[in-house]
Amino acid sequence: MIALTALTELTVSRHNPLVDPHLHIWEWQIPVYLFFGGMVAGLMIIAGVRLIALRPQQREALVCCTIGPLIGLFFLSLGMFTLFLDLSHKLYVWRLYTTFQITSPMSWGSWILLLVYPALVANALAHLPEAIPALAKRFPILVTVSDFILARVQWVVGIGVANVMVGIALGIYTGILLGALGARPLWNSAVLGPLFLFSGLSTATALLHGILVITTPDEERPAFADFLLSALAQLTQARPLDKNVGPVLARADNSFLTIELALLGLFLLGHMTSTGIHQQAASLLLTGSYGAVFWVFVIGLGIVLPLVLQSLELQNRIRHTIAPVILVVFGGIALRFILVYAGQESHWFQALN
Amino acid sequence: MSAPFYKFGLFGDEASFIIAFVIGIGFGFFLERAGFGSGRKLAAQFYFRDLSVLKVMFTAIITAMTGVYLLSRLGMMDLSLVYLVPTFLVPQIVGGLLLGVGFVIGGYCPGTSCVSAVTGRIDGMVYLVGMIAGLLGFAEVYPYVQNYAHMTPMGQITLAKLFNLPYGLLVFAVVLMALGAFMAAEWAEKKVGGKEPDPKGSFIARPWRLTPVRILAMGLAAAGFVALVAGDPYRGSHATIDTKDLAIRAGSGADSIQVGQLADWIIQGRNDFKLVDLRSGTDFAAYHIPTAENVPLASLTPDFAAHNEKIILCSEDGTQAAKAWFLLEAQGFKSVYLLDGGLRSWQDMILFPKKSDKTDEAVFDRQMQVAKFFGGTPQAEGTSAPASVAVALPQVAPPAQPAVSEPAAAKVQPKKKKEGC
Amino acid sequence: MNSVEHSAKPYWNPYLSGFGLGLVLLASFVIMGRGLGASGAFTTAVATAVHQVAPTHAENNAFYAEYLGDGSRSPLKDWLVFEVLGVFVGGFLSGVLANRLKLTVEKGPRIGKPWRLIFAFIGGALMGIGAKIALGCTSGQALTGGSLLNVGSWAFMMCVFGGAYAVAYFFRKQWI
Repeated sequence: MIALTALTELTVSRHNPLVDPHLHIWEWQIPVYLFFGGMVAGLMIIAGVRLIALRPQQREALVCCTIGPLIGLFFLSLGMFTLFLDLSHKLYVWRLYTTFQITSPMSWGSWILLLVYPALVANALAHLPEAIPALAKRFPILVTVSDFILARVQWVVGIGVANVMVGIALGIYTGILLGALGARPLWNSAVLGPLFLFSGLSTATALLHGILVITTPDEERPAFADFLLSALAQLTQARPLDKNVGPVLARADNSFLTIELALLGLFLLGHMTSTGIHQQAASLLLTGSYGAVFWVFVIGLGIVLPLVLQSLELQNRIRHTIAPVILVVFGGIALRFILVYAGQESHWFQALN
Repeated sequence: MSAPFYKFGLFGDEASFIIAFVIGIGFGFFLERAGFGSGRKLAAQFYFRDLSVLKVMFTAIITAMTGVYLLSRLGMMDLSLVYLVPTFLVPQIVGGLLLGVGFVIGGYCPGTSCVSAVTGRIDGMVYLVGMIAGLLGFAEVYPYVQNYAHMTPMGQITLAKLFNLPYGLLVFAVVLMALGAFMAAEWAEKKVGGKEPDPKGSFIARPWRLTPVRILAMGLAAAGFVALVAGDPYRGSHATIDTKDLAIRAGSGADSIQVGQLADWIIQGRNDFKLVDLRSGTDFAAYHIPTAENVPLASLTPDFAAHNEKIILCSEDGTQAAKAWFLLEAQGFKSVYLLDGGLRSWQDMILFPKKSDKTDEAVFDRQMQVAKFFGGTPQAEGTSAPASVAVALPQVAPPAQPAVSEPAAAKVQPKKKKEGC
Repeated sequence: MNSVEHSAKPYWNPYLSGFGLGLVLLASFVIMGRGLGASGAFTTAVATAVHQVAPTHAENNAFYAEYLGDGSRSPLKDWLVFEVLGVFVGGFLSGVLANRLKLTVEKGPRIGKPWRLIFAFIGGALMGIGAKIALGCTSGQALTGGSLLNVGSWAFMMCVFGGAYAVAYFFRKQWI
């Protein structure tokens, strides 16, 4: 019987690699883009929240408010570039901006991305001179701009709100981009939006936490972090960064990871209680050909292990290291790679097999 | 439930990787706990300063050895299914010496270097890079030394088989030897290294109180003693026959496979079963089902296949196969099946299917395809030609099919990945 | 953040950690029907990397071909690769819990860091070669095969100790 359905599949559904050679059309560019997009969204939200919630004197979390948006700009550009690499007709990229289709997540995305840049730049400019004094010395205009923004409360709140709003939109959009594609049952879930949003938040928090661990002054710096990114430490050495933010970030990261884990559970639960096709799509991750990498890289290394390590750090049982940071970042990349790749493997015909 | 779980198909490959990860965590954890992330502690072994390497290694060996023995002897585990790296004596002696020298120079072995690298030891990281360089270099030289790499093959052989001694006796001897070595090691540490043994974690230090370490040693010694008297852990020699269970299986037909199903499996290129043809060599040469393997009933020995392998027996009409089925079941083979109706049925239903009024058009189309795959010809209604069948039997190798051709399936087997380290 | 006690905790008693290690090995036998390993994972990784860079070269080399599988899935989807991944994680967990993470070079007082690192490299290379000649390293052969009373493993184990003790005198400056 199995051979018979295989024959039918060849003739009916055309899922034949020899006839339809480009079933697997999304390579590494899309998951990398989704990862950067999610992380930038997280950085924006954190920066925005801190800008709104804290008074200027309390805003010593320069890592969050300045370095975050600056890195965000860099990663966003990287992500856009990978997306651009994925386009078949690269010269026609401008056409995306000649129209707005309300039902198309692609159209939404390209317009959201256009709003991200100014929001991030404005956020970074607000505290730039304090974060990198060397730069401000060379370009005095930065001080003028910063003073101009900080002197106007409405501006500061406005920038903060804009960052939070655009950040949430961007984070959810990276998930909906997949979720809106009905042809792939694995992606057919609205949970993907919040899932990618919280995954992005957790990677962003982890990244900031990592920068903080590395840039803490020498005597407090865990020896283990020495050999990584010490150049970055040099850059910000002029001003020791706030210590109280470390535990805050670790705690926030733990909550985001927990929510992410719960959302992953909901995502899979939704599939498992749905049609046979969706069940099979979910079992690709749970027991199928992506089972091992999903459980080990996404759940084990990407979520559970950093959760355990950060909890121990918060209880002062172990030192703050960059290990959970690296794990969370790689877990975020793995989640998107596995979802994009497994999603392309899931299809509506599977139920017959 | 029977161990090893994986070999009895309790879970698949994907799950096995997750288990590998978890087992690895345990492995790495205990290596680090023992202090094996430190090259200096490891190397101290060779200067009699700190003999932890010997203590940890042999405690682990005798723990696992007695554990495996007891589980197998209690019938909970089939020891013959645990993978044994084949012995090639000369390469293993040469490799061992090289490894010993490398151990003193480098300070680690591959497993411990992982632990040392991840806990921040720069020399451990450099060691890993060196190992990768060594592997790259060896791979380039390998084609020239390939012939020497498999010198003096002795197959998968245990010390018990080699010396023709009871397995249990050797288990006991190794336990005693290890416990003796531990005491000697503690004595040497005191004499040469001047290290006063810690009374809590030592065998020879006074006072003579019952410490956890001593309880552990006594437990292991007791397990070793049980091994001495309890007999052979390999299953074949003491398989029990549950006649009732056998009768139920034989009566319900759960012991047989239909020819159609077998044909499907072969077309799909499945190789998770072993098809055994029990007829004589000449009959086999005249015609046999593709992928079948010839083992005449008279030469059927208990070690012709692993106990957990799925075996499908076929013979001319099924009588021979039924005899072999009982033989193998009694030997403790776990999943033996009969090809229902034997080769005769295979001819009638697969190679030369007949069309009658009742056969559905689509079904017959499918039968025709199957028959074509195996080189047979479907028979039209009424024109049964059993007499000509013998003449018209197809040649042994079926014509290659584009879908799942048989050679492709066969090619998978030898390229299977290595199981050992 | 820096209220953590910085002193490293002492190592466990060797017999008890050996017992734990033995139980892990036993679990591997019971669940998987195979023992532990380490060098095989690195060989697979090397073979995969070479296959990425120079596919034909890797396929024509009998040594690499053995570790590349049948091509139906990535060769990195291998039992030992996942196991060694776990070794890294387990080692890190144990190290971080006992405050033993330290960026340092393990050596005796009578040798400089550069020489120690050169020796580590040479030792690693020798181990890589030796492990492939012997079909296994200390984990795959000595531990696993040793507890199964494998003939080759016991011969191998004796030779490892023999070889090490034979040359230990010449490298004493490195360690003591």
